[in-house]
Amino acid sequence: MNRCSAPAPWEALVAYWAGDLPSGEEHALEEHVMGCEACSAESARVAAITETLRAMIPAVIDRALLERLRARGLRVRESPFAPGDRREAHFTRDLDVLVFRLGGLDLSRAETVEFAMRDERSGQILTASQNVAFDRDAGDVLLCCQRHYAGLPPDVVVEVKVRAAGGAEQVAQYTILHRFE
Amino acid sequence: MAEERGDAEIVACIVAGGAEARAAEAELCRRFAPRIRLYGLRHLRDEDRARDLVQAVLLGVLEATRARRVMDPSRVDRFVLGTCRNVAGRMRETEGRAEGGDALEHLAAPQREHVDLGALMRCLGRLDERARVVVGLSFHEGHSADEVASRLGTTPGNVRVVRHRAVAALRSCLDRKAGEGAR
Repeated sequence: MNRCSAPAPWEALVAYWAGDLPSGEEHALEEHVMGCEACSAESARVAAITETLRAMIPAVIDRALLERLRARGLRVRESPFAPGDRREAHFTRDLDVLVFRLGGLDLSRAETVEFAMRDERSGQILTASQNVAFDRDAGDVLLCCQRHYAGLPPDVVVEVKVRAAGGAEQVAQYTILHRFE
Repeated sequence: MAEERGDAEIVACIVAGGAEARAAEAELCRRFAPRIRLYGLRHLRDEDRARDLVQAVLLGVLEATRARRVMDPSRVDRFVLGTCRNVAGRMRETEGRAEGGDALEHLAAPQREHVDLGALMRCLGRLDERARVVVGLSFHEGHSADEVASRLGTTPGNVRVVRHRAVAALRSCLDRKAGEGAR
């Protein structure tokens, strides 16, 4: 590969793919990358990450997104889980996503809901977020299990922490033993 | 290793026609197809439409080159970029697919990296909480650095730093996992 005498900085490439480089800088970067094999390869390495993230369905979704997934033709099954549950969930071949309705939560006064999913055996955090979508009326949080989760440890503990107005906290745990077909 | 031909030399070969022109056209396609795809992915946000853009732009560039309409052969990259902007602009206006068909499919299908989603999930799990939140807001939800900063009560500059370091950490993590998988 031909070397570049003025490589595009990594941070500029990330800002480009995030869509918030100022217009003049964006044009200049595009002119450089279009003429430079090395920088176009580096831009592709950034894009592989950012565009995959963009296309991924988040681990926790709201009901509107769930309906959009159904409308897109994804095959969805919903499965209710109560706090303290520890049971198997079968991700069968006829499914694209398996949505766990993590219920038993009083979300009527919730301000934020935190979520963490960890490997039951090692305790390693697999994914987490401090502020996820929740359904105040239904009292549940929708965890969207996807086929690529088959690459993760199968037995996971999901912890949901509800922070309510006034500082009250409520914590619920759900243990899901994934079985992928 | 043989020195790669410059863009101007490739254009000259195409203009001259004859036996070498076909190979030169293939080389031009091989060189620019991945870059056009990236442009399409960034501006059209869709892999299929980016592939359409590759076809339409290369067809236009080859026709212009054969007809000697590329004024500065050493800067054919600028010509390609201008064509990208025009065709992508039309595609955005019509929200449609580009004309051009599959005439160059055999020459122009650029390789793309397949990202292992399970590995990416694991790598995301290794980021610290703040980096995960910034990545989520930036790429899952599509917020700008200014918007993310206002939600997190920090500065856009801080968001940009956290964001590019997080993407670099994910890149290294995936490269490491790919290396482990290959051994």
